[in-house]
Amino acid sequence: MRKVIGAFLAIALVAGVAVVAHGPGPAGAQGGGTIEAAVTYAGAPVVEKLKVNKDTEKCGTEAVIERVVVGSNKGLAYAVVSVPGAKGAAKAVKTTVDQHGCKFVPHVTVMTPGELDLKNSDDILHNIHTYSTANPSINKAQPKFKKVMMEKFEKPEMIKLTCDVHSWMQGWVAVMPSPFFGVTDANGATKIENVPPGKYTVEVWHETLGKQTKDVEVKAGQTAKVAFEMKK
Amino acid sequence: MIPALVGGRSVGRAGPRAQGGLPGSACCSTNRDDHPLQTGATLPTRIPAGPPGPAAPPALALGVDRARLAGARRILSLRGIAIAGLVVSSLFAVPGFVGAQAGDAAAGKTVYERKCAGCHGEKGDGKGPAAELLAPKPRDFTAGLYKIRSTANKVPTDQDLFRIITDGMPGTSMPPWRVLGEKDRWNLVAYVKTFAADKFKEAPKKLELPKEVASSTESIKRGKEMFEAIECHKCHGTEGRADGPSRAELKDEWGHPIPPANLTKRWTFRGGPGRTEIATRLANGVLGTPMPAFLDSVEKPEDIWHLTNFILSLGPESPHYATLIQVMSTSGPIADDPNADLWKNIAPANVPMMGQVIVDPRNFNPAIDLVAVRAAYNDKEIAFHLTWDDPTQSADEPAKKLAADAIALQFPPQVTAGPERPYFLMGDASDAVYLVRWENGKGVTEATANGPTKIVPIQGGEASAKAVYANGQYRLVIKRPLASKDTARPTFAPAVFMPVAFQAWDGGAGESGTKMSLTSWYYLRLEEPQSNRRFVIPPVVAVLTLAVMLLVVRVANRRA
Repeated sequence: MRKVIGAFLAIALVAGVAVVAHGPGPAGAQGGGTIEAAVTYAGAPVVEKLKVNKDTEKCGTEAVIERVVVGSNKGLAYAVVSVPGAKGAAKAVKTTVDQHGCKFVPHVTVMTPGELDLKNSDDILHNIHTYSTANPSINKAQPKFKKVMMEKFEKPEMIKLTCDVHSWMQGWVAVMPSPFFGVTDANGATKIENVPPGKYTVEVWHETLGKQTKDVEVKAGQTAKVAFEMKK
Repeated sequence: MIPALVGGRSVGRAGPRAQGGLPGSACCSTNRDDHPLQTGATLPTRIPAGPPGPAAPPALALGVDRARLAGARRILSLRGIAIAGLVVSSLFAVPGFVGAQAGDAAAGKTVYERKCAGCHGEKGDGKGPAAELLAPKPRDFTAGLYKIRSTANKVPTDQDLFRIITDGMPGTSMPPWRVLGEKDRWNLVAYVKTFAADKFKEAPKKLELPKEVASSTESIKRGKEMFEAIECHKCHGTEGRADGPSRAELKDEWGHPIPPANLTKRWTFRGGPGRTEIATRLANGVLGTPMPAFLDSVEKPEDIWHLTNFILSLGPESPHYATLIQVMSTSGPIADDPNADLWKNIAPANVPMMGQVIVDPRNFNPAIDLVAVRAAYNDKEIAFHLTWDDPTQSADEPAKKLAADAIALQFPPQVTAGPERPYFLMGDASDAVYLVRWENGKGVTEATANGPTKIVPIQGGEASAKAVYANGQYRLVIKRPLASKDTARPTFAPAVFMPVAFQAWDGGAGESGTKMSLTSWYYLRLEEPQSNRRFVIPPVVAVLTLAVMLLVVRVANRRA
């Protein structure tokens, strides 16, 4: 009997160490694999520019609306790559989006269902106006003295964030069903780690260019590469 | 639910239109926190889905009055006459109280197709045949998104929908439908909800406003501070005239441009001009529009009321439109500065402006809805002081596709006895009119018109003008001699009813030519000059009377 308990203790200890070693990463992913995604777009970047007529001290004199951002080697930035089928516990880290310089930072925020902190570090009025259908859409003022607001997004959905005071401000909150996701960097690359081994459909989403999917097999300790070429 | 009763009563005092809560619930929810009728009484059709409660379900099916009776009976048996008295008084304390009724959607459909589909469309998508001419656009019921609601969540109460149907939406094409019977209006509520049935699955949640703060100098001052701190001016403008820097960027959730409210014109507020209505819009925003909710975004909850008191201080509840324009007689010189004291001492005659919809191109949605007119004259000249709101100052700049802001006064060239006047729309082929027009960037011109497309300038201008523009408002003084040198221009004489009409253009809103707002003929009347004789004759009469009396007394004394 003691031996059995001892064995359980040992397993528990090992498991505990493993979790600690992985830090806040998705739990239950020990021995998982990595997905490296490369997202490209052959077309030209889509950027709109607007003359700013107010709050120029905070917002600058020219606002830039980046609808499609293309980096080196046609890499597409701000694409959300996710593995909706992979099961795992959500990260315990709280997600935050900041309104800074009259921009949503980051431009695309990815989170699992739960709470989102909306910061206003601009010291001017913004209003958080979301366009959502699965989650209740909100339109709440955030004056300069209201530094942080918390909102709950309980259902997976791509939610557009806008500010009516500064119409060029556009951001996205991607509420994902599973904690395995990444947002592409300026070169169109992202990495999803600790994915439990298995066959998955990997999904990419971009605010302007839409969705694509590809099947990928993840093996323990190995890196699976997947490439997407987005089209208009 | 006791707070609901208290809230309902305090709200109710502001008038029946402010009845924001769930009136049906007030009667039945006084004694129980867990009563299922807290939302059900306004939405009886949803009751069966709710948790079973002590109220008798059959009463609900038969309508709210029965439910109220049943509730009252139960209270009588449970709590005694004292509570029942309180309940009854709470019901009747609200003037014009209208209990929510269960409408019949099928019957509502018939009324809808007859009265509503022209704008809102047969499918309720806001795309009726008239929709393209309207701004703001008719409501798309399929979205289930309602601007005006008294609730904390997105679902309006039946009462909210009923009120909008009954009272209409000021400043829009939605008229009050009191002409329909009450039953028809409740049926419409039921039918309109069917366009977005899934949105009405959630029960309305009553909005709890902070404790009301009465208006006072301090409250208005605090409201102004908060107005600046939360930056209302970004959209509504520094003085509330809808001229804020974000104005041009604003769009509703359907992508249509939407102007901010002009806070100095409360009578155009979509949700009504009352205290509770304004506080509610501030607290929970206007759904589907850029106006956000401020309930959790003011420094202290009661700031909602300070803001309300400040907004109420910005303008009158009603424009009190004028029927006659009095021209004040003055002996001194007339100031041509629009901000001079002379003009502050004259009460304005508010003249409503309408869109020109007779001649193409027409103006179905005029930007200028009111001109405030003040006028004065002396022995040499007559001056008109005109004030109107225009959120976008613009001059004639074809490169930017901008037209000039302008305003015109129209008179018959000669005043004739009898009711005959030229055609009000700038005259016609047989009868001309005289126009004095001021245009931003160009100044004042005079013209003879035989219709809106036959305008001939008059050489040798007699008129002069001076204008100022600030915070979304023009103030203009136009002067001309009292007597005219020729027959193309009128001579103004005291105590004569002189026809006058007005035309205005907001160039920033794309108005020019026949795209204008205008009035039909009004009358102005020059006050008769007040001579010094009124100070001389009465004392003389008094002295003479006294002398006669003394004489009579003396004669009588002698005889005696």
